[in-house]
Formats: sequence, structure tokens, C-alpha cells
Amino acid sequence: MHTHMFRHMFRTATFASALAATLATGAAGQASELRVGFSADALTLDPANHRNRETETIIRNMYDGVLTRDAKMAIVPELAESFRQVDTTTYDFTIRQGVTFHDGSPMTAEDIKFTFDRLILDNAMGGQTSPRKGLLGPLKEVTIVDPRTVRFILSAPWPILPAMLPFQEVVSKAFVEKEGSAALATKVNGTGPFRLVDWRKGDSIVMERFDGYYGGATDIPPVGKACVDRVIFKVIPESASRVAALLSGDVDIINELPAHAMNQVARNANTAVVTVGGTRTNFVALNNTKPPFDNVLVRKAANHALDKKLIIDKILNGTATPLNGELSPDAFAFKADLPEYAYDVAKAKALLAEAGYPNGIDVTLDVEGPFKDTAEAIASLLAKAGIRARVEVGEASLLTKKWRQDKDKVGDMTLTSWGNGSLDPSDIAEPTLQTGGRGNSAGYANPKVDELLVKASTEIDKAKRAAMYHEAQAIVNDEAPWIFLWLPQDIYGVSKRLSGWQPSADSRINLHDACVK
Amino acid sequence: MSPGKVLERLAQLVLVLLGVSVIVFLMITLTPGDPVQIMLGDQHVTPEQEQALRRDMGLDLPLPERFATFIGNAFQGEFGLSFFHRRPVAEVIAERLPATIELTLVALILAVATAIPLGVLAAVRKSTIFDKLATVTSLLGVSMPGFWFGILLLLLFAVNLQMLPVSGRIDFAYQVEPITHLLLVDTLLRGRPDAFVNALSHIIMPALTLGLPMTAILMRVTRASMLEVLAQDYVRFAEAKGISRRRILFRHALKNALIPTVTVAALETGTLLGGNMIVETVFGWPGLGRLVVESIFVRNYPLVQTAVLFYALTYVLLNFVADLLYTVLNPRVKL
Repeated sequence: MHTHMFRHMFRTATFASALAATLATGAAGQASELRVGFSADALTLDPANHRNRETETIIRNMYDGVLTRDAKMAIVPELAESFRQVDTTTYDFTIRQGVTFHDGSPMTAEDIKFTFDRLILDNAMGGQTSPRKGLLGPLKEVTIVDPRTVRFILSAPWPILPAMLPFQEVVSKAFVEKEGSAALATKVNGTGPFRLVDWRKGDSIVMERFDGYYGGATDIPPVGKACVDRVIFKVIPESASRVAALLSGDVDIINELPAHAMNQVARNANTAVVTVGGTRTNFVALNNTKPPFDNVLVRKAANHALDKKLIIDKILNGTATPLNGELSPDAFAFKADLPEYAYDVAKAKALLAEAGYPNGIDVTLDVEGPFKDTAEAIASLLAKAGIRARVEVGEASLLTKKWRQDKDKVGDMTLTSWGNGSLDPSDIAEPTLQTGGRGNSAGYANPKVDELLVKASTEIDKAKRAAMYHEAQAIVNDEAPWIFLWLPQDIYGVSKRLSGWQPSADSRINLHDACVK
Repeated sequence: MSPGKVLERLAQLVLVLLGVSVIVFLMITLTPGDPVQIMLGDQHVTPEQEQALRRDMGLDLPLPERFATFIGNAFQGEFGLSFFHRRPVAEVIAERLPATIELTLVALILAVATAIPLGVLAAVRKSTIFDKLATVTSLLGVSMPGFWFGILLLLLFAVNLQMLPVSGRIDFAYQVEPITHLLLVDTLLRGRPDAFVNALSHIIMPALTLGLPMTAILMRVTRASMLEVLAQDYVRFAEAKGISRRRILFRHALKNALIPTVTVAALETGTLLGGNMIVETVFGWPGLGRLVVESIFVRNYPLVQTAVLFYALTYVLLNFVADLLYTVLNPRVKL
């Protein structure tokens, strides 16, 4: 009975897949189809009603923005043709002509104004307020100057407006008014290279090429329609299953390839690994508010005690860039000549002794479960210099509360990170290093740094602004509120039938130029 | 069962659900972690923006008030908006539920269809090599973690043999207009055997993974109770009367031996719903379990509360069904 049952099931299965294969080729005909094995489903398809990077990655293939970024992360016009800053609080955008929405209607200045009104006005989305409002800072009003020009008016100077605009996508005013704001959660009428075919929630999002596409940003060749006929984002949350899907040929691109699976994908004849510098700065926040890390000598000792290169090579498989400060090398005003805390156990011990800890210190190192390996490696390396850290694993929200919200910081060290999708210093330095910042796990407080960050956040002159950030980076580097670690790369697995696609540092997966053999 | 008894059980059900909702509400809201902070992620935001979002989610109200609102609305079938999907929770759950029900049913059918014959066989051939093999296999089945077994299946059947797909419910090439929202049923009702086979190829591995521990447990239970029943006087009497072995096994013994199996099966079906969370994650199955796991991580209070209420309701109802089945299998049992 047992064997019979299984034999029968196997036969059914073989038959099933054979039949499926025949039918799939038959049904698809000559159409080219690109599949992405993606770690999460979209929460909604409404570009204004979420705060979620994965959702944006999916949506961005169907919706275009006023501005976008090229592969080198430069900000370039997309639905705008050009833009200029009129004064410290005013920007004018010239709207590209000849752009149509998926329903064939032309995109106008009205649509751009409507899109941003929906984002920044209270209760503008059928009674809801957009959770993305905060991403537009002091944007107060959007007005139509003439049919080709839209003016963005800020309530205070905010030089990073252009850096934040690629995060917003333009919707059709007529469509939203006709269908109702809530309908955008599941219906798409964008101006992007692909149009929505079907959203099988939790399973996949299917899109096909939009033949009326205007071609995309002129600064990012090739300009024109998308290469593939159909795109499917398949939701596969478990990384081992995502790797299996890539190896079996089920999908052509997977995101968040774990470092330990890189060799497996690289060795496979039909697949390859591609990486790109990410935007998430990793660091060990040292508790600057209490002993022993209130002493700068101890903090410097910790920086000297860690052999970063060893961890990057052995645990991260070489997929990270060491840092001496808070900024990614791709970020605006990155200071490339910050002094490095070279790996030097003797120096670390001497600094500890000088600080009054000749016998070393006993501390705890908090970490989230997924990064336990790295934390343990860090702890064992620090121990050689007399910094004996006990690793304590905690759940993400618990650690956020303990390190970022509780009034009294009780921990010693925590391995943590902060993302900087806009690649502008204000978006990472202000939360993590300004006194009382939302992400200031270290409890770092330096009036001079605070002042520089406040001034720079509204400084319009790029050179002056960069100079202020350079100065702040130098102070932070010298005071070492953290053990400066590294910037992990984003790792993707791709099929060799894929061409024309490269990963992007802002973790978007833009499929406009991707082709499959 | 008398109508009075049924009413009594239903009244108990309401009490149980009320108790569950209190516990769930307290557990999730008292768990550290703040959905507003999670939603804002790594952004520079002003306190005003943070407060606006808090108000939007209804989290600026005091705890008792939030609980009263939750219970009051729940009784009217209103479960609020999912914080992260920004749509009604009931709608989001309803989209995911059919996939979970389908997977649970197939796993249940697979488990029952394998476990009972195997259990009977192991009992009849007690202490033979078959019995011992079955014992070892079932021990493995109970002990093997679902995610590990699932990934082993994936590596073998999807990556190496390329016989079965890695994830999803059905290929995009098959568009089937829903009737029951259970794909295996709908594809047949619509007369699409090709789509049925495709859906079947997608569900086999997740259902096997999900059903394995249950198969093992049910087999052990069936074997044990079958052995007990076979030692009873009436079985020996039937043998003495010269009734055929087959008739004794299936007409006399099995019917009585199945009572514990049915209870365990009903309770285990509740467990299957829980096991779904892992299996759905491994196989990218678009069901409720995965949605709940994701929602717990981001502290999506309304969704988790509603889903747990639903699980509790199902569990209680399954117990109820088990009780009813008792009376059918053994008329001497009165509720």
C-alpha cells in the first residue's frame, strides 16, 4: 500500500510537470518572459499608500517618477524633462511632453500636481493621509505655472528634495477620481514600462510590456520600450527556496542571495552572482552615555581591536566595503580621506590601560538573530584585546526600543545598521548622530556636530554644504561613537539567459532594459 | 446531540472567543515593538509626522479604549484596517484564506489516506519487519522539522529532478475563473484538467511537508488502538465464529479503533493550520500562515488579532466536529 501510493504519486508528479512544461511553452508562444524570485509581496499597488521598499521595487516597474536615478546613483529627470532651483525654497520642473498613461490618456502638469497633493495634504487619499508624507519634508505646495511647468514650493530650504523625488511615482488624476482613491491599492494606471496584468496576492505580480511607453529617462540609455514581453515577480520569502528556484530555472533573478549560498549559485553552469554596493551602513553602536564607552579612549581601543577585513573575507564572503565613518562612498559629501583605525591589538590594549582598564572590560553585545554569526565573530576578535563581549540575541523591535527609545540606555554595545536610500548625509547622520536622533543608538551628543548637521540640512550651496558634512565626518571619526564597520553589498543571483540588467545601489529592480534569451 | 446541547456548546464558543480575544489583544499590544517605528524605518522624521501616523493607526488612544473599540467592532464583523496594507483586515485575510484551506485539506487527506491503512497494517503485522520500519519512519516523520524536510524535497524534486515547481499555487499560463477559490476544485469544475494537473504539481510538496508529522502521529494512534481492539473478547469471538479475517478487521475492529484516530485527526487539523506558517514560507504558498508571520514581525495588530481569533474559532469548531463524529462511530457515546 505504502509503496504503491508513493509510486502513484510520483507518476502523477512526473506527468504533471511534463504536461506543465509542454503547456507552458505552448501557451507562452514566442513571448519572452522574465521572472524575478522576490523576497516579499507588495503590500499595496498604490504608490502613495505604503512605507515599504519591496513594494516600491515592484511598483516602480509600472510607475515612473518625476526624477529617477541612473546606475551610478546620479539623479536624472524621468517624467520631467529638466528642473531648476529658482530660489532656496522653490524648484521648477519642466514636464516631458508625449507621455501617456497605460489607459492611453496623456500625462499633464495636472497629474503631477494631483500626485503630490495626494501625498502631502492631510486626508487627501479618500480620508487617509499618505504615510509617505514625511518623505517629502517641508514640501508645502505644488502649483502649475503653465501647462509645461510645475512649481514645488517648500516651507523651508531643503536641499535634498531632488534626492527624495525618485521615491514618488506619478498617478493619473482622472483615473483616481473615476475609480476612487482606494482602488489604487489593486489597480494600476501608471506611465511606467510595464502594465499590470494580474496580482495574485501573496503569490505573484504579473506585468506585460506597455507598448505606448515614452521610452524612459533620456539620460539612461537605451531609451524605448521594455525588452521583454512579460515580467513576473514571484513571491518566495524563504531564501533557501529562492536559491532553489534560481537553480532550477524557475526564475531569472533573485534578490537577497545569502552570502553563504554565493558559491552554490556561482558554481552552477546556468547561474551567476552579481553584487552592488548597498546603502545600509553597518556599525557597532557603543553606549556613549555610560562607562566604559563614555571614554573616547575605550571607543578608540574597540575600533583598533577589530580585524574588519577578516570578518568581511570569512563571513561576508568579501561582499562588503569597510568604512571609517557613517557614509557610503556613493553618498553626497563622502569624505574619502578619513583616517582609518588600523587593526592593532597592542595599541588597543594600551588605550584601554590608559583609560584605566589595564585588565580589559566585560561588556555585552546586543544583536538581532540573523546577524548572530557576525556578532560572535566580532566578540571573539575583540576579546583578544581585552574587550570581553558577551553576545545577547534579541528580537528587532525589542532592540529598537532598548537602544533607540528608552530614556536610559542600559546596554553596552549593539551591532546595528541604518539605511540611506537617498544617499544624502542628512538622511543618515541626523537620525543616527544628532543629539536625541531617532536612530542614535550610541547616545552620541556633540554640539558642534549638531550645529553642522542643522546648518547643512538647509544649505543650498552644494560646496558649502559638502564642506560642513566633511567637517562633521572628521569629528565623528575622531570621537568614534561607533565601531565603524562596513557597507554590505546587495547580492543577487541571476540566470545566464538574462542580459541588459544590473543591480542598483538603491535596491530597485528596474526591468525596463532587461532581456532574456 | 440534543438541540439544547448544541446551544450550550455554541454559548461556550462565544466565551472561548471572548477569552481568546482578550489574551491576543494583551499579548500583541504588550509585546515590545512599535508599528509606527517599524513603518517609518530608517528615515529622518519629525515628531509631528510620527504622531500623525500614530493617530492614523489609532494607536494614540489609551489601551482600554483601544480594546473596547476592537471588541465592539469585532462583534459587528469589523476588524479594522491592516496597518501596512492600509485596507480592511477582513479583505486581506479573505484573499489569503482559500490557499491555506486548500493546502490544509490536501495535507489532511494525504495524511488520513496513508496513516490509517499503514496503522492497521502495522497492527496486524505486529513485530514484523514492516511494523518496525513503519515505527522508525513515523518517528522520523514526527521529529523532522518541517522547513528542513520541505527544503530537502525542493532540492530533490525541483532542483535536481526538475519535476515539480518550487513555489506558488499555479503557473501564470493558467487562468481559471474562481468558483470556490480552491484551485483543485475550480479547475475541475471549469473542465480544465491541464490546469488541475498544474495546480496539483504545485501543491504536492507543500502538502506532503505539512501532512508528514500528522501522518506519523495518526499512524501510531491507529496502530495502538487497533492492537487494543484486536485483543478484545468480541474480536476473539468473531474469530471463533469463523468470520473472515478481512470482515473482522474492517467491520468489527477498525470502526471501533478509529475513535481515537478521529479525535487526534480533528485536533491535529488545528495544528496543521499552525504548521502552515512554516510550510507556506518555504514553498512561497500564498496563504494566511505566511501573512500572519509577516504581520507579527511588523506588529500589525489588527491583522494578527483577527487571524488568531479565526484560528481559535476553527480549533473550537473542529473539536465540536470531533465530538459529533464520536456519536456516529460509536452510538453508545452520548454527549
